[in-house]
Amino acid sequence: MIRARTERRRIFSNAMFALCAACAGVIVALLLAVSGYLVWIGAGSINAAFFTQIPTGDLNDPGGMRHAIEGTIILLGLASVVGIPLGVSAGVYLSEYQHEWLFAGPLRFIADVLTGVPSIVVGILGYELVVVPVAKMTSNSVSFSGYAGAAALAFIMIPIVARTTEEMLRLVPKSYREGSLALGASKAQTVLRVVLPTAFGSISTGVVLALARVAGETAPLLFTALGSRLLTRNPSEPFPSLTLQIYTYATGPYPEQKKLAWAGILVLLAMLFLVNIAIRLVATRHASTRLGKA
Amino acid sequence: MTTDANAISSSSASNPSGGRRADSIFRRFNVGDALLGLICRTSAVVIALMLASLVLVLLSSAMPAIREFGLGFLVSREWRVNELERPLRDAAGQIVMQDGEVVTETIKPAFGALPVIYGTAVSSALALLFAVPLSLGAALFLVRVAPTLRIAGPLSFLIEFLAAIPSLAYGIWGLFVLAPFLQTTVGPAFQNTLQNVPGLRWMFFETVTISGKLVERPIPMTGRDMLCGSLVLAIMILPIVTSVSRDVLKAVPRTQIEGTLALGATWWQSCIAMLRYGRAGLFGAVMLGLARAAGETMAITMVIGNNNQINPSPFAPAQTMASLLANEFAEASEGLHRSSLLYVALVLLAMSLVFNIVARRLVIGTTSPAGH
Repeated sequence: MIRARTERRRIFSNAMFALCAACAGVIVALLLAVSGYLVWIGAGSINAAFFTQIPTGDLNDPGGMRHAIEGTIILLGLASVVGIPLGVSAGVYLSEYQHEWLFAGPLRFIADVLTGVPSIVVGILGYELVVVPVAKMTSNSVSFSGYAGAAALAFIMIPIVARTTEEMLRLVPKSYREGSLALGASKAQTVLRVVLPTAFGSISTGVVLALARVAGETAPLLFTALGSRLLTRNPSEPFPSLTLQIYTYATGPYPEQKKLAWAGILVLLAMLFLVNIAIRLVATRHASTRLGKA
Repeated sequence: MTTDANAISSSSASNPSGGRRADSIFRRFNVGDALLGLICRTSAVVIALMLASLVLVLLSSAMPAIREFGLGFLVSREWRVNELERPLRDAAGQIVMQDGEVVTETIKPAFGALPVIYGTAVSSALALLFAVPLSLGAALFLVRVAPTLRIAGPLSFLIEFLAAIPSLAYGIWGLFVLAPFLQTTVGPAFQNTLQNVPGLRWMFFETVTISGKLVERPIPMTGRDMLCGSLVLAIMILPIVTSVSRDVLKAVPRTQIEGTLALGATWWQSCIAMLRYGRAGLFGAVMLGLARAAGETMAITMVIGNNNQINPSPFAPAQTMASLLANEFAEASEGLHRSSLLYVALVLLAMSLVFNIVARRLVIGTTSPAGH
């Protein structure tokens, strides 16, 4: 009787083991199938014109997405100019000034809350806070602009960068700071010459990941940058972005434009994959050299 | 720490052999400290202002709609952007005629969020239903089996990379691959087997009012419906729920597992013990998935069909808060329509903030070393 029960338990356990393995298998297979399909179709649709031409207006030969690739790079650059310094210094505050004002605790909470804001809401905020006031100031009816888009992206970046920076700075051993202070360095010197350089590698990893994350965002740009079919480098006009162009083409009715959308997705995925691989390689090497010996 | 630095600096400054040089260095140090402090504190204030401006701007722009509809907005089903002019009907449903002409009535635009709240809730709930069991199973595998097979590293990398794929990519896959498949294969298969089962008719038929009469008609299978939306959402939240659950289960002390095994538990029974130990954190992982699903915009907009209605059938198109915003905000004119959309955005914001806060509290409580 007892033996039969033990046997039943064992069989049930083995069945559940197989089920767990199957779950992992299904997830990996599903996600690989999705990304594999995207890559497969994308690879069949991409060509040199994708990188060198801009939309032609000809539905059978729609050109390429050079304008959108450049637009995304410029948007990311503008967002970084604001987002990275602000995010990193806020992260320094969270880590190095954590005992002051009773403010660092609530601030960490606020940063966490901000990372959870749906990106479409950030887009709407960008519209209400940048696009509408600028339109009123310049008395245009609408003034969608690259600046508004970059501001929305920076809004998403800042809390992510701040929290990553804080976490990376906390990994720097306290003895480094104490050693620096004991040698007569000021707090600013300690932070700028000892703490930040020690964590530099991992902070830049976090920054690159944040950039990769916003590079794939579409929703915050819908009502801010709006998108454009022109090769514009003036961010005060409606501005092209790779994701917006992909969205427009994918939801549109024209087969040749859909092909371009697939190619665009492939470029996005390839970029993300390279970034992830690079970071993994750098992070492993970094961890084994700098912080590992601490 | 600041006081430490000052103490050390001033002691070197008061050192007689240091002289003027140490004194000037002391002063420069303080300028540096002040500058760094100023920069960091300013950035900190900027972050606080970001949240404040987010809430204030949404609140003030949504104010007209909040005044007009109040909390009734949340339970109203109507969403009429334009004034509607229609023949006036009497109590019996007959068109009222006067002097041989049809009398018309004008209905004012009205806005209510119930359909999109329903759409968000149901699509997210279904997504969790599909994703959570798979994620938990996979997390158990990652924690208890994969390390012994030396595949935990590659598997984790894969899952984290997949979590980084933009929602646009999942949306395009859903639109061009999943939706046609559901439309041509899965939907008809369900229809053929289930439509004659008593009590399941609502899945395939809808009742609509056409020129004053109630008509029952089959729901057209477009593939872009609640089912497709929640499947795409489920695939999108799989990586995040799996990786957070994995972290939570990893934090279960080894002694807990060994203890159950020593008492004669089978592999699965010790897994149950692990799940029970980490239940708060696992609940947090599910909440994170929920927050992600509820706020998801691009993918869901492409596959859910974008029909502002409440229809219990998984084969009927629906609308979520995020997809409503993505679809209508650009075209909304100033006034009540835009203001109502901002009200929806405010509800969406409040909801995802609550999910996120609860989730973070639960996950941090179980995975941080201080938790033990």
